[in-house]
Amino acid sequence: MSLPVAMGYVPLGTVFGFLFVQAGGSWYMALAASLWVYAGASQFAMIPMLAAGLPVASLALAALVINLRHAFYGLSLLNDQPKNQLTRFYLIFALTDETYSVITTLKPRPTPEQMALLAGMNQAWWVLGTLLGAGLGTQLPVSLTGLDFALAALFGVLTVEQWRATRAWLPLLIAPVSYALMLWFMPEQALLLAMAVCVLSSIILSARSSKGAV
Amino acid sequence: MNDWYVLLAVLAMGTVTFLIRALPFIGTRWLRGSSLAQRVGRFLPPAIMTLLLLHSTLDLGLQASDQLLPAIVAVLVVLGMQLRLRQPLLSIAAGTVLYMLWIQLA
Repeated sequence: MSLPVAMGYVPLGTVFGFLFVQAGGSWYMALAASLWVYAGASQFAMIPMLAAGLPVASLALAALVINLRHAFYGLSLLNDQPKNQLTRFYLIFALTDETYSVITTLKPRPTPEQMALLAGMNQAWWVLGTLLGAGLGTQLPVSLTGLDFALAALFGVLTVEQWRATRAWLPLLIAPVSYALMLWFMPEQALLLAMAVCVLSSIILSARSSKGAV
Repeated sequence: MNDWYVLLAVLAMGTVTFLIRALPFIGTRWLRGSSLAQRVGRFLPPAIMTLLLLHSTLDLGLQASDQLLPAIVAVLVVLGMQLRLRQPLLSIAAGTVLYMLWIQLA
């Protein structure tokens, strides 16, 4: 199950490493970013910011805003904590969009240790891609344009599998509606706000269904 | 780019990101075993996946407006293939190749 993630992470990591080096960064700093930040969207955002020499505080703030949605992911994994302290920390550390997506799609549910292993494999793909891209520098046999679609494709696959696993239509309906609303309301923060709306509606729905028969 | 400056930025961004991801676990004693938290945890994944799909598709279209149609069509191809064949790698590869060819040749 790490292979579909590899299809998204290797190309995307490659694009990151490539752009990072192109912007004047060193390959080992691209590697450091993929090892320690390990959050795709904010790593892409840091490239122009670093190139512009913006203060570190503004980069930290960007990471906060871009990755705030990850605060919701742990909610699905509260009862899946590895016994080993270090493994537990790693699983929390490596809870990216894609890793969360795969973990929650898998049936039967993996053990916490398997989750951490999967998270580690996913990060390995990301790091491999980064090194590949940083190494490619400017010598490119084919154009990389459009490779970033792999990520959208991965989420497409996972959405289908989520539906197959749950057969729940409601989340699939609430999500686009809240996203559309938030796009109209606050385009820059649409994703985060739409997630908050989904969390809120799921709490309301869950609270109602616990009173009735579900 | 000065390496020390980049290193500081990497450390700061990584630490912020880790703290965000750890948030729900900080209140874990109170949340664990709560049936409400469990139901929310089950409801969320499909909704979040749909949001990420919409967001990443629109993102492609925002980079250049003429890429929105290829992105939407390629996503539909991925969804259709995954519903029919259930081969994740094949679905991702087919959609990505279609999208890349389309925007590079257009």
